[in-house]
Amino acid sequence: MTRKSFFFAATLGALAAGFALSAPASAQGNVASALAAGQVGEQADGYLGVVGSVSDAIRAEIESINIKRRAAYTDLAAKRGVTVADMAAATGCQTLASRVKTGQKYRIGTGAWQTKGSAPIALPSYCATAG
Amino acid sequence: MSEFCDEQGSNPMVLHKWVALSVLCLLSTACITVKAPEKPIEINLNVKVQQEVVVRLQKDAQELIENNPELFPE
Repeated sequence: MTRKSFFFAATLGALAAGFALSAPASAQGNVASALAAGQVGEQADGYLGVVGSVSDAIRAEIESINIKRRAAYTDLAAKRGVTVADMAAATGCQTLASRVKTGQKYRIGTGAWQTKGSAPIALPSYCATAG
Repeated sequence: MSEFCDEQGSNPMVLHKWVALSVLCLLSTACITVKAPEKPIEINLNVKVQQEVVVRLQKDAQELIENNPELFPE
């Protein structure tokens, strides 16, 4: 392989990789900005929820993320011998404890959406502190 | 075996004592009565087990979030 053709192949590869990554990255960026804007929030049940009205694209992206989350919860739940809902709720504890930032929205159970203040979120009693 | 049972069942002295005791109980208000509780006593051993399961799941959840950042946008 000559030096020129190597660079050509490398450039093509980089372009392809960039293209493949750009679609999910931008969609995730949409969800991230919707989270920051308080249009989307984390729920204690382990899934993302829509707070107000969002674009169809964001709604679709959230649904897609939730489907993937559910698949991951299902795998882990089977490994640990617990229900999918339990695994999802355990993850919900973690997202509320460490992922939701000040000013972002969250919801516990079927309660109203709340905005995280500077204090940590008061977690449901079933959330243990993992050492 | 039968000898033992016979002795136990028909010992007039034992019977006599019990009758005397129950009569005493009926007459005296100072007699302590022990009543079995209506509900069975439950000792819940599930609490600790449940807690351990929750802690274990929390660790799984942490790893899940760390290993799948695309599913947990910030």
